[in-house]
Amino acid sequence: MSGTNNLLGRLSESLAQAVVKAGLSTVMVEARRRMPASGVVLTPDLVLSADHVVERDDDIRLLFQDGKDSAAQVVGRDPGSDLVLLQASGGGLSPADRAPEAALVGQLALALGRPSPEGIQASLGIVSAAGGPLRTGRGGLLESYLRTDTIPYPGFSGGPLVDAGGRVMGINTSGLTRSSSLTIPAVLAWGVAEALERHGSVPRGYLGIRSQPVTIPALQREALGREQVNGLLLVGIEERSPAERGGLMVGDILVAMAGVPVNDPDELLAMLVGAAAGQSSTLQVLRGGENIEIQVEIGERK
Amino acid sequence: MNHLLSALADEANAVVGQVQRSLVVLRNGRRGYGAGFIWRSDGLIVTNNHVVGKARTLAVTSDGNEYPPKILARDPQIDLALLKIEADDLPAAVIGDSRLLQVGEIVMAIGHPWGQPGAVTTGCISALGKAQTSGKRRGELVSVDIIRSDVRLAPGNSGGPLVDARGSVVGINTMLVGGDQGIALPSHVVEAFIENQLGEDSD
Repeated sequence: MSGTNNLLGRLSESLAQAVVKAGLSTVMVEARRRMPASGVVLTPDLVLSADHVVERDDDIRLLFQDGKDSAAQVVGRDPGSDLVLLQASGGGLSPADRAPEAALVGQLALALGRPSPEGIQASLGIVSAAGGPLRTGRGGLLESYLRTDTIPYPGFSGGPLVDAGGRVMGINTSGLTRSSSLTIPAVLAWGVAEALERHGSVPRGYLGIRSQPVTIPALQREALGREQVNGLLLVGIEERSPAERGGLMVGDILVAMAGVPVNDPDELLAMLVGAAAGQSSTLQVLRGGENIEIQVEIGERK
Repeated sequence: MNHLLSALADEANAVVGQVQRSLVVLRNGRRGYGAGFIWRSDGLIVTNNHVVGKARTLAVTSDGNEYPPKILARDPQIDLALLKIEADDLPAAVIGDSRLLQVGEIVMAIGHPWGQPGAVTTGCISALGKAQTSGKRRGELVSVDIIRSDVRLAPGNSGGPLVDARGSVVGINTMLVGGDQGIALPSHVVEAFIENQLGEDSD
């Protein structure tokens, strides 16, 4: 094209370069009967992939961009977020570059996969939505997720979603929802990987309550002294649970945990993932016309 | 408002406009619309074999002229056909080097999806690989280079060009295998076919 800056051509080249760069840390993961899937290198010997594509614990093989391969072992699994951490026996892998900021709706995105030894594969699109929390149907809950209009080709699960600079914005999986694919944001995925490396599993906090969201009545809202519309009405307390030991009662309206307002049960679940387990926390509760604080020792969901 | 995005849009529009001039509608009786494009200004047209079919085909160029093409060569195995119309100084497409393609590059498909003339869809190169197609002898399998892309294709795109960000033809959109991926035959395969069939250099 004459008389232009050839922006389209430059954009195209940048995208191809992003694929080359991110392709160095996108590996083939062979651990199921069906075709292999993909994984992302986190450290020189750790690879993150989708839990549902690693069907076996033994005889796992990784294949890298340079054609070399390596055996791998499962470090830990988190079915709730459909992530699995693998350790390559060889080491010396090229870790992925992580995007420093959260993905923005509308930004360009490439989904990458390496489901075959033929080479890296890609699909181009944009970040369509950023949402959460999302119940994943396996007892898990994603605090946040991304959706894109990229095509989730067979074997793309476990592969990265990268920005135009080839930096990882998240891990793609089609194993969490029945009809579509979604992306686990990098900050969440890296956090899960850290927990898996340390504990072999992701600790999930447990209170032992059953609750439903309610509109806080006007009188009680006055006692609360802030503009919070919804809270959690406790409709059940499990015996010998952290909630019972802490003194929570049926009929209480839970409005905050550790100073953070709680508007619905999913928000509470999200707060209970990760660090909260085993720690003491302050719950803010409306009981009758009173605004009270209760200390609980958060348990761990087994 | 956003200078970069509007400049990109202007460029994309210019690229599409240039390719549309080389685009041909192939009307094939009841089987409807197929696409083809002018490979050489002397009237050499490249399309899919299945677009030509058995009935009398009519080629309509972008200036609205209709020509009854002569079929020079056809190959059902790789679904290619070479046609010739009696005309000179036609706006030939710029042919790119498909051997230099990289995964992630932006590509556009231009054709007549669902009968919409000259429509464009865009995406990127998803994979560069090979596909198996049946050979000339029974039971024989032939391996052919293919381009996979995430460009949305529909009936009417068959035989039309897949172009890169500069508007150079890098492939011909083909329904060689199914699935949700667009399949294109790389332009270097078309070049080899032309050389082989017509016994001449393709350019």
